Order: sequence, then structure tokens, then C-alpha cells
Amino acid sequence: MGLENPFVPYLATLKSAVELTPDVKLLSVELTDPAIQAGFDYKPGQFAFLSAFGEGEAPFGIVSLPQRKDGLEFAVRLIGTVTRALHELEPGDTLGVRGPFGNHFPLDDYKGKDMVIIGGGIGMAPLRPVINTILDHRNDYGKLLIINGARTPQDLVFAPEFKTWMEAPRTKLELTVDRGDERWSGRVALVPDVVREVSPSPDNAIAITCGPPIMIRFTLTVLRELGFKDPQIVTTLEAKMKCGMGKCARCNVGEKYVCRDGPVFTMEQISQFLEQP
Amino acid sequence: MNLLMSRDDLIHWLELLMRERILLAPTRVQGLLLFQPVSKVEDIAFDFDNTTLPPKGWFLPPTETLFSVRRGDGHTELVPATVEREAVIFGVRPCDAKGIALMDNPFLEEPGDTVYGERRARTALIGLSCRQAMPECFCTSMGSAPDDPSHVDILLTEVEDGYIVRAVTEKGKALLPQGLAEGEAVLPAPPKPQAVPAEGMVSAMRDLFSEPYWELLADRCLHCNVCAYVCPTCYCFDMRDYPDKGNIERVRSWESCQSPGFTRLAGGYNPRATKGARLRQRFYHKLLYFPEQFQDIACVGCGRCVKACPVNIDIREVISDLQQLGAKSGS
Repeated sequence: MGLENPFVPYLATLKSAVELTPDVKLLSVELTDPAIQAGFDYKPGQFAFLSAFGEGEAPFGIVSLPQRKDGLEFAVRLIGTVTRALHELEPGDTLGVRGPFGNHFPLDDYKGKDMVIIGGGIGMAPLRPVINTILDHRNDYGKLLIINGARTPQDLVFAPEFKTWMEAPRTKLELTVDRGDERWSGRVALVPDVVREVSPSPDNAIAITCGPPIMIRFTLTVLRELGFKDPQIVTTLEAKMKCGMGKCARCNVGEKYVCRDGPVFTMEQISQFLEQP
Repeated sequence: MNLLMSRDDLIHWLELLMRERILLAPTRVQGLLLFQPVSKVEDIAFDFDNTTLPPKGWFLPPTETLFSVRRGDGHTELVPATVEREAVIFGVRPCDAKGIALMDNPFLEEPGDTVYGERRARTALIGLSCRQAMPECFCTSMGSAPDDPSHVDILLTEVEDGYIVRAVTEKGKALLPQGLAEGEAVLPAPPKPQAVPAEGMVSAMRDLFSEPYWELLADRCLHCNVCAYVCPTCYCFDMRDYPDKGNIERVRSWESCQSPGFTRLAGGYNPRATKGARLRQRFYHKLLYFPEQFQDIACVGCGRCVKACPVNIDIREVISDLQQLGAKSGS
């Protein structure tokens, strides 16, 4: 064979599958070829396609960090046929990985700034490597405020990490749910309302938000009310995509391809798209 | 003086070509005219306006296997599809050759689609100048022409005693038979397709995105996708797994932005949920996004969509409407 066919994924083995919520599993995968695994570098915000052979492939944000050497991790929410097949895999099973694709959160540019991370539901997935990068280089950044919402307490995806996040210096974690349960003593409120209540200062700050489209929309309104300007507001877009390389044209939004030009965009960029995502 | 090939020479040459490699040529199939591999010259249609479908499918097949998944003894292997042997496509109209050149932009830019790239490298295009323009043709307004040699390897132009031969590329030169004679025959004046001036359209489109025009136009669209099916420049695709008797194949197939499921995410959210938004996407991709990305309009003026659309959505009218709307909003 001549050049490598970019549609053929790397083979990988599922190392572990941990249930994070009733419908989200943390899949840890290892590429079969040790040389490819060693060279598989990526940055927070980038994504890869996971193949469940027989069902197809779908794109997922990579939630691990290469420097932590915990392996390649994906938080997969059960939502369709490919994710069902991925959830059914057992440790030792073979799957495919194609990537990494897309741009990334320019975290080096945010050094010295206060960071406001606002995530809803599975939207926390691409934000986890952002939070962990800031924690790993805690002195490079200002205050860290994390606002994390979910439908119910059980749906808070990265709950096992909350203690570490909360105990980090100059870090605040605000949790909220749409519906509590008998054990929940925290907030029952919508994410945008919590943002308004906590009211982070826009001075020398960056807000990164990811979640359901409706949450992003109202969060944006609140951030703008608080004085955040569009270049300070960053999000990562979700789109139907097949190739990841700007060829299949499925994730075309206005003149941009989410897979190649994104998925990370500032609101300043998004507001200039002809078509709104 | 021009290089000439008699009709007999052409037939002998095609017979030679089909022995050495795959020869695709226009053939009549149940009332359609399609590019198909041929094994005898009698199957080739020489007298035609244009084919029902462009030759695009040779490079981007309607469905193709990208790789197969082989499993056994707890071991999994991915076997990429292999590319066919060398091929020649005879009878390509200049507009359709331009369509292939346009498709090269997304498929050959890095990271290149290696399957597409190998098919392109192993296939030569023998073009055939148009003798007449069909009522739907508007190639000259879209940067091509009935006798445009730009995107073929060899261009043949029919004259009284045979064909005037232009070897355009080295690949084409290597393919030509030895000993072709030069003759007095002169190139005939090309036919004149309808003019659909598109000046100012691309820049006007930035201001016309939110026009109610798109919903009105789409009102009659049946999202049958035939426009994308016949288009020489539509290249959107889908990828799915097809398990068959324990063998799994990852298959790529044509997809159209007019399908409601084109942008629908797992879970049901659809960012492009209306017919108007989808039809607008078709024209914006061809007439604005593609030109911004690759500096050329993604329409070659072949007129196939005009002919095929069951509800007469006509890209020529859209172009002219956009210019008028643009002039109005710009004034």
C-alpha cells in the first residue's frame, strides 16, 4: 500500500469501561500498535472517531490528557446506535480510533487569566481536559470557577473528580441540577441562572461553555449581561460529521467546517458565521 | 495544421485501449446514457449531447467499500480497498471534466483521500468537445466551454472526416497511438450555450442569507435529492458499516444536503431543520462557500439539475434572482 488511507482507523483495545452516570461510560482505550500509541499526541478540545465495527463510527471529544499518561479516555453517552455498541464493548474487546482531529482550546493564550468553565451534562466531556490542564499548571492561571449542571445528581459526569477540583487552590466548583433527589442538598437551578447568581467578573477572564444548545444560548445571554465580550467567550460545537477532514461536508456551518476549523470557536467567530449553529 | 484521427483510427485505438486497461465510455442502458466499462466498440455511444450522469462516480462511487473488517481467533484486521487497474474514460464533456477538477480540491487537499487520489492518478480522461449546446447548458458562464481542453488529458473535436486531436497532458500524449497525421482540418466554432451571467453574485450572497426567498423557493422542493445525484460537483458523503455474513465493511456512499437527516445528530437535534435552510445550503455551498474555499464556483453549468428537478427549481433562475436581490439590497 502507498500512502496511508485516512479512513482506516487505528485498531485499539478497550482497557476499561467505567460507568460515570446511568448513561455515560468512561472508555479507556489503548492503540494496538505501541509505536502509534506512543506518538498519539493531542490537545484539550480535540476529538477522535471511535469505531464499533459493525455499527459504524462517531466522533467524541478526548477527555484525557496525554501528559497524565492515564491512557486515551472518552466519555460516551448512550444516545444512538454507535454509542450503544460502544457501551456493549467489554474490556479486551477491539475497537477503532481515528484521529485526533480539529483545533483545540488555546490554553497557552489564557495563561494569567481567570477561567470560568460552564458545562451542562455530557458537555462537561471536552471541558474536563481544560480543567485538568489548568489544575496541572495551577500557577499559570488566575481564579478557576467551574459551574457544572446536569439533569439530576446522578448525571453529573465527573463526580468522582469533584473533590480534587474543589480542593485545588483558588478554585471554586458550583454544582446544580434540574431535579434533585432525597440525598441532594445542593442547588436546583438552571445553569444560566447559576452563572447570573455567581456572577463571575469579566475582567481579564475567559469563559468556556459547552452543553446542550439551549443551555449555551441562555448562558451566552447571561455572560454578555455580566460584561463578557464575545472574544472572551469560547465554546466547542457539535455537528454531524463523518470524515473529520473537511471532505464529507456534513459539518459545514456557513463557510466553516466544525471538524477542521473547529470544534473550538469564540463567540466572536461564531457570530460572524452566515449560518448559526 | 492539426493532428487528425479518422473514425476508423479512433475505433482501432479504443479497441487497443480496452485490451490494455479498463475503458469507460457512454453506453445506452434502458433509456439512460451512462459511463460504463466496455468490452466492444459497438457498445459505445458516439452520438450524444451529454450523459445522464457525469463520470464522477468512477472517482467517488455511489457506494464503495473503504475497508473490510476481518475477524478470526480473537484477531481483528482492517483490509483497505484496493484500487482498480489503469483506466481511461472516453467521451467526457469539458463541463464534466471541470467537475472532476473541482472535486479534486476537497479530496486531494491534505490529508488526501488516497483512494480517490489513486483512481485519479490511474485514470486518463479523453474529452469530446460538444457539437451542440442543449437548452439547459450554461458552461461558458461557469468558467468552462464546449471545447475547453483544460481538465482532460486528450481532447477530441469532431470534424467532417474524423477528429482533431489535442494532447493536453503528458499522460494524454503517452496514450495516443503512434503516427497520427497532421491535416488541414480547422477547429469548428464551438456552439454557444445560454449565458447566465454570475457577476457580483458571490459577493451579494453574504447579504442574502436571511432572505425569505429561500423558504419560498424550497416550498415546492420534494427533497428527492436528484439534483445532487446528477450533479458533477456534489461530493458530500456518508459512511456506514454493513455487516454481511460475519464480514463487516465500512461503506462510503453519496449523500445529499437536501436529506432531512443530513445534519441531524444522534438524540434528534437538527441544526438545519427546515427545507428552506437545506435548499439554501445547496446553493450557498456551490456559489459561496466553495468559491471562498477553493476560488471557483462549484457549478459547471451542465444543466443536469435543471433537467432533472421534478419541480423546476432552476439554478440559472436562482443565480439571476440572487443578482437582482443583491442589486436591490445593495442600492
